[in-house]
Amino acid sequence: MAILEVKGIYKKFGTTEVLKGIDFSMEEGEVLSIIGSSGSGKTTLLRSISFLETADKGTITLDGELVFDAANPLKRNSTKQREIQSKFGFVFQSFNLFPQYTALENVMLAPRLAAKEREDYKKNKKEIMAEIENDAKELLDRAGLSDKYHNYPCELSGGQQQRVAICRALALKPKIMLFDEPTSALDPEITNEVLKVIKSVADLGMTMIIVTHEMNFAKNISDRIIFMDKGIIAEEGTAQEVFENPKNPRTREFITSFSQTGGKE
Amino acid sequence: MNMQIVKTLFEGFGENLILFIVTIIAAVPLGFVITFGSMSKWAPFKFVARIETNLRNNRFWAEVLDFLADFRPISFVTRVFVWIIRGTPLMLQLFVVLYVPGLLLGIPMRNRMTAALIAFIINYAAYFSEIYRGGIESIPKGQYEAGQVLGMTKTQVLFKVVLFQVVKRIVPPMGNEIITLVKDTSLARVIGVAEIIMSAERFTKQGLIGPLFSTGLYFLAFNGILTILLSKLEKKLDYYKG
Repeated sequence: MAILEVKGIYKKFGTTEVLKGIDFSMEEGEVLSIIGSSGSGKTTLLRSISFLETADKGTITLDGELVFDAANPLKRNSTKQREIQSKFGFVFQSFNLFPQYTALENVMLAPRLAAKEREDYKKNKKEIMAEIENDAKELLDRAGLSDKYHNYPCELSGGQQQRVAICRALALKPKIMLFDEPTSALDPEITNEVLKVIKSVADLGMTMIIVTHEMNFAKNISDRIIFMDKGIIAEEGTAQEVFENPKNPRTREFITSFSQTGGKE
Repeated sequence: MNMQIVKTLFEGFGENLILFIVTIIAAVPLGFVITFGSMSKWAPFKFVARIETNLRNNRFWAEVLDFLADFRPISFVTRVFVWIIRGTPLMLQLFVVLYVPGLLLGIPMRNRMTAALIAFIINYAAYFSEIYRGGIESIPKGQYEAGQVLGMTKTQVLFKVVLFQVVKRIVPPMGNEIITLVKDTSLARVIGVAEIIMSAERFTKQGLIGPLFSTGLYFLAFNGILTILLSKLEKKLDYYKG
């Protein structure tokens, strides 16, 4: 059974139609990359899946449960909505770490707040908190940040900040990770350290959607690629199909322009 | 004789300090209430935007409908209030608070200090509210979004993520406003509060001008202490950038 099913998503900003009917589904453990030129709607699609935007039409089903229906959207801030929200991990282009907290505190904040809603919180407070701290440290260790627990975001490089942000999203144990151009704000040299961490998350079997301009990375990591153009899915297939034998002329044009400029837009 | 002068001036400055302290204690939280008012998004006529009507073909009516749909009454009323308070002299507001209750309601304001406090609290709360609003609006949208995708409630985002960053950002402009308040307290003399400058003027009638000038030292000393405290606070909040 598909873990994620996106059906008939439409989204308008004012009079501009950004998404004009998006349908796709994903299997558990699948890595899907969304590519396409700026303005094609790929970021809006990702934001609609994680409720940062409310789609005008369409439905989203996660693990067999209808989590979004544009005809009958859940109330923002409701317990149900937040519970669904935390099943999606989201990584922003601009990291959006909380500047007043250390790396470790950034990772622990949401799990600690969520733990307060547990029934056994008062009884086992100490154990729960220690467990959260252990998990957070383990995540940071795996991202190569074991010496940065107590550094503030302003003391970290962009690549390190983004790795903390990935740990922060993983700390809630999401079902699906969504990456919104995770390396677009980074220098080419440090892009790799972030891509390596994303790759290691994929290797653990995490289902993920990556919006990216890193064509080589998309090619290597993805089970499937979606090429978006003007608010629709113009082409969909395995990395090989999309990159080496594109059917749509727009895809061909896009891929060619990338191989000429070396992968950066 | 000299001791008499110093004692009188200290008593006068006591009035300034009462005005200062009570105004700060009351205006800091009241400013937040005004901020929430002016940032209120409550738009009771929002439904107008969804009504399909031929009126929209007419440009004038289309504008009217758009205006109605966007109209935020709480925000509007609060902003008009802030405009009036910031747009008129505090000195005039002191007179209004002293006389208007008696003239309009038949309840004369008996205590001049109370009148001065009401005027100061309202005036400074309005200024503070604009500083708070600036601070809140300067927090990047990404901070709220990061809180949302981490499953936090709006209250958690406000208290665990945003508030501290707002406080850090508003300390310098608040410091400015607080130091202005110290000096503004001397305006209370226009409605007869015997603050320090009014007390010192009594001595000029005896041919002594020195006491009047020396009042500046009281303000300087007090503002010096405040400046040190404020910069300590700024340093404390400066453990991170951004």
